Amino acid sequence: MMTKRKFTVVDIIILILLTIFGLAVLYPFYNAILVSLVPQHVYAESPFMLWPDEITLDAYKQVFNDQTLINGMKTTVIVTFLGTVYNMLITILTSYALTKDIPGRKFINYLILFTMFFSGGLIPYYLLIKNLGLINNILVMVLPMGFNIMYMIVLRSFFNDIPDALEESAKIDGANDFIILFKIILPLSLPILATLSLYYGVNRWNEWYHGMLFITSPDIMPLQLVLRNIVQDASKFLQGNTAAMANVETFSEGIQMASVVTTMFPIMMLYPFLQRYFLSGLTLGAVKS
Amino acid sequence: MKAKINNLLSSIFEHKYIYLMLVPGLAFLLVFKYFPMYGIQLAFKRYMLNEGITGSPWIGLENFLYIWSEPAFWRAFKNTIVISLMKLGLGFPIGIILALLINELKMKKYRRFLQTIYTFPHFLSWVIVSGIIFNFLGNTGALNSLLENLGLGQINFLMNKGIFRYLLVYSEVWKEAGWSTILYLAAIAGIDPTLYEAATVDGANRWHKIKYITWPGIQNIVVIMFIMTVGSIMVAGFNQVFNLYNEVVYDVGDIISTYVYRISFQQAPDYGVSTAVGLFNGVVNFMLLMIANTVAKKFGKSGII
Repeated sequence: MMTKRKFTVVDIIILILLTIFGLAVLYPFYNAILVSLVPQHVYAESPFMLWPDEITLDAYKQVFNDQTLINGMKTTVIVTFLGTVYNMLITILTSYALTKDIPGRKFINYLILFTMFFSGGLIPYYLLIKNLGLINNILVMVLPMGFNIMYMIVLRSFFNDIPDALEESAKIDGANDFIILFKIILPLSLPILATLSLYYGVNRWNEWYHGMLFITSPDIMPLQLVLRNIVQDASKFLQGNTAAMANVETFSEGIQMASVVTTMFPIMMLYPFLQRYFLSGLTLGAVKS
Repeated sequence: MKAKINNLLSSIFEHKYIYLMLVPGLAFLLVFKYFPMYGIQLAFKRYMLNEGITGSPWIGLENFLYIWSEPAFWRAFKNTIVISLMKLGLGFPIGIILALLINELKMKKYRRFLQTIYTFPHFLSWVIVSGIIFNFLGNTGALNSLLENLGLGQINFLMNKGIFRYLLVYSEVWKEAGWSTILYLAAIAGIDPTLYEAATVDGANRWHKIKYITWPGIQNIVVIMFIMTVGSIMVAGFNQVFNLYNEVVYDVGDIISTYVYRISFQQAPDYGVSTAVGLFNGVVNFMLLMIANTVAKKFGKSGII
């Protein structure tokens, strides 16, 4: 009975609607990339571009001529690496421990979930960080993040679905819980670990809020905060850098978009190849419940 | 009794490594989540720098009486709710419609390509997205240049009180609608395909199938998402608003979290007052979430707890 349906008018309308939405999402990115690549006079003539009439890397040269963005990149790479390892370690240990029926588990579960519903608020948090001496410390963009409760729940339910028989036979051979977790459970969980690492990594790459609150030293400002300063006011950024490149026209929109493109470059490059991992995590957790 | 305690102790001893595994996670929660709650008492105190949290004098409800008499607080309170409701009414359905449309698209490869594009902005920060929006929608930006060439004249998208809330709604749609379809499409994928085949045999058209098979199949997840979104009405999105707003649109765009930030770190800060605003917001938010969670459970699906 399965006949291939014909391509109807409705199909064409759906195709057109979806394509329009796709273009609406895509075009601003394309435009941003073009703005970063054209000289000022081309942009001034027509900011709405379909094709660049002339290409120059001046904006990128100016961006990389200034130490601020490069410093930001160094800081963010460190934060992303440290943060992802730290987040994953805590998430894995907590998730696995909570699959076990231990005395007090229910209480610990409530202790974790309560923090999703209520928090101390900005000022108590600020004072805590200050008292811990984390102001102007790069670790302030790592330590307070700990684990994401949703990701913990997703990983916990994944661990729960691994057959107990595997663990029991290892236990009989005398393996302790740490050995079981790292030698037996984790190797079976690689795809979901990859997904969660990506999420944590992207999250740390996008860090700016803690930087804005707690970092005043320009040497360790995260990349996104540097970008924020450039986006909000390009002139501030340009002051330090025009003197060095007096022969180049300062085209602030170009510099802003070059900074934007530089900042999203790693995600832009990884995304199409790792899309499977990027998209799988959410459904893993949701469909189960 | 004694046997019970012995059982408990031996069970704890047997799981000693499991408890050890819990140490880092619990330490993190206690330090960074629970310890700040101790500072909530500042809402009822006058904060003195030299005295710290514990030593500062109690002043009862004075901070609350102050904020309740402050028009800027009520403005932020109202904006938070209005912006959230607008996102719920105008933005939330778009994700569902988009998912239904994607599901109807027959060309599988093109479908995957579109999904790649739709979901990409979700992984960018609001800092990046605001940079693109400022450039694209600015007075000298691409969209205004296009509008002018079409003879429609310039629109000041970024500094217009009439437009700003719609900018928040639709920039969020632009960034997140694609991502929200993933959940719905996963639910659709779980629908028994024989239902569609049987419907075809019975002569059902596309609309009938959407109405009687696909929609009931995702109804549960839609209800849950809707309830959870209602539950977080007091969180209108700090990252988004903070990166997009400016002084001109405070009247329509300043939400509680941006208000708290400004009174805490700009002008002459009063930590007691800031904490009081945060606590007020936190308590309302807590109640809404509890209600949402209870309602979600009633629909037969698991809430968060």
